[in-house]
Amino acid sequence: MKASLLSAALLCLGGEAAACGYCVEDKIAATYDHAVVSRALQRGQHLAFFHVEGAEPRPEATRRALEDAASMPGVEKASVRISPDLLTLSLAFDPQRVSLAAIIERLDRRLSARKLSVLPLRIMQRPADLTSVKR
Amino acid sequence: MKKLLSLAVLAALAACEPSAPPDPYDVSKMDFTSKAAKVTAEGHKGAFAEGAALSMGAELKRLDAAPVKTVRLDTTHKVIEIAPGVKFSAWTFGDQVPGPTVRARVGDKIRFVMTNRSDEPAPVPQLVAAPMMHSMDFHAAMVSPQDKYRSIAPGQTIEFEFTANYPGIFMYHCGTPMILEHIASGMYGAVIVEPRGGYPTKADREYVVVQSEFYVKPSPGKQKVDGGPLYVLDGERLRAAQPTHTVFNGRHNGMVVNPLAAKPGERVRMFVLNVGPSKTSSFHVVGTIFDRVWMEGNPDNQMRGMQTVLLGSSNSAIVEYLIPEEGSYIMVDHHFANASQGAIGLVSTSAKPPAQDLEHHNMQASATPTDPDAVAGKQAFESKCLACHSVGGGRKLGPDVAGVTKRRDPAWLARWLKEPEKMLQTDPAAKAMLKEYNNLPMPNQSLSEAEIKQYLKYFQWIDAQPPGALKTQASGH
Repeated sequence: MKASLLSAALLCLGGEAAACGYCVEDKIAATYDHAVVSRALQRGQHLAFFHVEGAEPRPEATRRALEDAASMPGVEKASVRISPDLLTLSLAFDPQRVSLAAIIERLDRRLSARKLSVLPLRIMQRPADLTSVKR
Repeated sequence: MKKLLSLAVLAALAACEPSAPPDPYDVSKMDFTSKAAKVTAEGHKGAFAEGAALSMGAELKRLDAAPVKTVRLDTTHKVIEIAPGVKFSAWTFGDQVPGPTVRARVGDKIRFVMTNRSDEPAPVPQLVAAPMMHSMDFHAAMVSPQDKYRSIAPGQTIEFEFTANYPGIFMYHCGTPMILEHIASGMYGAVIVEPRGGYPTKADREYVVVQSEFYVKPSPGKQKVDGGPLYVLDGERLRAAQPTHTVFNGRHNGMVVNPLAAKPGERVRMFVLNVGPSKTSSFHVVGTIFDRVWMEGNPDNQMRGMQTVLLGSSNSAIVEYLIPEEGSYIMVDHHFANASQGAIGLVSTSAKPPAQDLEHHNMQASATPTDPDAVAGKQAFESKCLACHSVGGGRKLGPDVAGVTKRRDPAWLARWLKEPEKMLQTDPAAKAMLKEYNNLPMPNQSLSEAEIKQYLKYFQWIDAQPPGALKTQASGH
């Protein structure tokens, strides 16, 4: 319920703020790994940051579920970062091999059995440039 | 008729009565408007802290009269010394801990800019934390946190402004999760907002004292700094609120070694802020009584004749007291477990006044070059090289750069700055130096030709100074 409210607030505010008091950027900070970001951008990959909705009571189970779901062609496995506390997932992907829309669709499909889903927060295509995701 | 006359006289008298003073807290007169914050990918390469409203050390500069205070406080990662031999991998505002103090007056506008420079190369990268997102939370402001206090990535710059509506001493800190870790790593400072009409008393000395805790342990990777262990944040102690050091102005017993100055008969105004992050402060000055205490730094919250002031985390007070006679008056956290961890300092009638106009990097004021290339070289040197090299202070991890242009010719120095690793393969002098300095190679800073020219100009300027003109500089990155 809390996660649904958070998601609704995020959508209502155009992705600018979270109802729990954490800024979107603060959620991103929870999984921001500069080494991953630098390496991905050097390789022409993009970074995507997601809010996770409907977390399971056990954080480790949520983490495992997200790791499994994020394993797909075009997504670099070693780049996946998860913050169960702040319900954030981030990953690097090759835009030549997979689109952001396809990633979201696959994540949601794989997570639906666990009643989890993702909401894209920001995408990074260039250094120091976090942009909103238009859906 | 008589009645009418009486009423007219009464009305005239009422009109002559002085009107009530304006309410300083009339919210209809406060300014709650501010433009949306602007986040860009524009970097910044100049000083880490800029603005006439900033004071870098304990001694406070007078209020700058400008109604708009433009302030830059960039975030950096650097190694600081919190106690003798305890070199801690810190995160900072303005490249110092605590960050510079901002001074303003009610009604002033603060125009703030911050670049996240945590990704700037450090001479020994493994000693500082990896680049990360940071943010700024001003307790002195009334603004939307989601707009103004958002976290920015390394390389990004945020700009926003706010109006100071209430007088007080307000904390500022990084608000990026996990906030506890960002504050405990050094990301805090004070904003002083004077009442619109100033303070009701006249003080002879004004000092700011920021109390904070550190929670440190030797780095698990056993990294060394200047031959000693590097200390990093101890997460377990942090979460258990068990500090290893409790300090004033970022330094264990710091103001015992360098007391604050005052003379007998003088009134000292001390702006005290406890930033925590997790402990209270029972601030007391041995040998005197607080004539006035203005809780939260607001003269409307006045108490008289107090011995101690109790400050929770992010609470503050102005304490004013007289120096009755010659002596050293001891500032302590009267919760003596905290004092024993370093929260102690002196206000002494025998102390020398601190140096004026302190520069950034916690360094003493020193002579400054005027040539633009030399100025740029000095700035670059101070941000990248001070951890390993001193200027006239003797050898550290690497050689003292004073005299380097007399020891080496310009072509050799230019090659050394450009490709130290190649020089170490081929050049006998470089090989000998590596051996002399414990096989610690100088890292390649990827300097451009223009930057190398700036460094050389700065080194030439250093060697042109008269003996003793340059003071030893403390370590930076």
